[in-house]
Amino acid sequence: MTQQRPFFIPFLVPAVLVAVIFAAAMFNVFQYSFLEFVPGSVEVGGFTLDNFARINRPIYYWVLLDTFLLSFATAFFALVLSYPIAFAVVRAERNWVRSVLVVLAITPLFTGEIVRTYSWMLVLGTDGVINTTLKALGLIEGSIPIMYTRPGVVIALVQFAMPVMIILLATAISQVKRDCEKAAANLGATPNTVFWRVTIPLTMPGILSSFVVVFAWTMSAFSTPQLIGGGKVLMISNVVYLQGFSSFNLPFAAVLSLIALGAALGSLGLMKLATARFERKLATV
Amino acid sequence: MKRFLVSLSLLATAFAATPSSAQEKLIVSTWGGNWKDGAGIIAKEFTKRTGMEVEFITGGTLDRLAKAKVAKDNPESDVTYTTSHVGYLYQSDGLFEKLDMSKIPNAADLYAAGDRGGYEMGVYSYVYTPAFRTDLMPEGFKVDSWKVLWDKSMEGKLGLPDFDPSHIVIASSIMEGKTPSDWESITDKLEALKPSIKAFYQSDATSQDLIRTGETPVQVLLSINGYHLIEQGVPVEIDIPSEGAVVGIGALGINAGTKKLDAAHEFINVALDPAIQEQLCEFHKCSPMNQKAKVSPELAKLPGIFTTPEQWEKQAIVLDDETYAKLLPLWKIWFTENMMQ
Repeated sequence: MTQQRPFFIPFLVPAVLVAVIFAAAMFNVFQYSFLEFVPGSVEVGGFTLDNFARINRPIYYWVLLDTFLLSFATAFFALVLSYPIAFAVVRAERNWVRSVLVVLAITPLFTGEIVRTYSWMLVLGTDGVINTTLKALGLIEGSIPIMYTRPGVVIALVQFAMPVMIILLATAISQVKRDCEKAAANLGATPNTVFWRVTIPLTMPGILSSFVVVFAWTMSAFSTPQLIGGGKVLMISNVVYLQGFSSFNLPFAAVLSLIALGAALGSLGLMKLATARFERKLATV
Repeated sequence: MKRFLVSLSLLATAFAATPSSAQEKLIVSTWGGNWKDGAGIIAKEFTKRTGMEVEFITGGTLDRLAKAKVAKDNPESDVTYTTSHVGYLYQSDGLFEKLDMSKIPNAADLYAAGDRGGYEMGVYSYVYTPAFRTDLMPEGFKVDSWKVLWDKSMEGKLGLPDFDPSHIVIASSIMEGKTPSDWESITDKLEALKPSIKAFYQSDATSQDLIRTGETPVQVLLSINGYHLIEQGVPVEIDIPSEGAVVGIGALGINAGTKKLDAAHEFINVALDPAIQEQLCEFHKCSPMNQKAKVSPELAKLPGIFTTPEQWEKQAIVLDDETYAKLLPLWKIWFTENMMQ
């Protein structure tokens, strides 16, 4: 093997190092989850299972469900909005149009998450751009509450996820052979039919993988739900922060972190199963 | 070869010089931004008196505590500026030195609230109290009692900090004729506040944003942030309810294991000097801990600025650090599970 791939082992070393450090950190978190929290002290006490017992409360189930639903909604809307842009980026006839689209699509990646979230606070607020415009047009009298709501959080998360989604989808769309689409058109298919029956199925692996990437990414979202949600919309990372860093209850925060990790891995496993089944179905069509 | 050896010796000299220059400096751990600038007032006078430079390392309250815990016997800083109840956590885990009061003569003139139990000294105080936008609330509106926050007219208007529910828990306990230690008997009252709450803020910056934009026209607000908003022309009124306002105390402690004990004591002594207290309080718009400090009449008349023993007695709710430090995590858990979302 080393003869066939001479750099295999040296190239593997950084990945193994990162994995070992990550595993050591996770082991530490795991260890903390079984230790007693002592109020009024930075030190932890002895072995206990109380931290796990505390999880059995409706609030934590709701937070997990909310995290799942918000991540799913974010991935779905990001996909719906990103696909046309990615399609235009790949298929634009003129180079300058393609360049402009790429710049517009990718630029948000170069502004930080906090900056983007603050901008959304200005847009979604009681006297923000949306409410002010709707009021000026006479469409509403009072303000529509968007901040501190789930839709508000999803809007900001979708915009945050879109650049990555566009890059992933554009890569998938660029792999589609135009000959297949031309063949379908020659056989009498309308552009609409070509798109839905040829292009979409051929880009389905890219659609599924980008959906899973954005879903997993959003599961660990912190700043956006923290600022846009304003404590009224909590995702699992926010609860970890509130318990761990605001009150120094690190053992309980460790339990929540493990549950967050388990929930993310479980959700990804379920998605992988679903996508694998879907891909098999596509292959037989 | 000759050039290589010269470079090597220069490099060695540079490395050797680093620890020796660090020895000449007093390292002070503090918050960033405005708080660091305030600590700079103390540092300037300290350097003038001792000739020793001060270097600051900055971070959040709990980040710095976590770092101090990790560093333990080999502290990163000599002096730590923190909130007094967080100072108790340093103290209870052996991260603060016991203070030698003979080296802090200015401590003799402090208000009672300045004495934080022998391991840290209160330097200044501020309050968390109700404040509101006068242009967004009805004319004549006042928060003369914490009870006003439960009023039906407050629905969807209130902002509270998400990082610290202690102020509302302590005030509610006093309002209900209980002590903060009896907080479990007033949880129904706290839950009845939920309709009033519009959002929770995460930092001083978001607190100011929420009130500036009118998202939460009423807040339980850090007085210093309120004065800052007023200075910027935001129409904010800060009220001290009849039950009092909840006091927070900025405190200094000496990191256990420091090799600059005398200098660290002198830094605290300088911080408590009446003249420095005056400068510090004019800068932060906070209350001095030294009774001999004379703040300007403009500052003294601001709500939440306490300059007489009577004001401390009637307007200030002060909780001891041990109770605060032990109950805060329990309040925090209860609050997250029952009041948020």
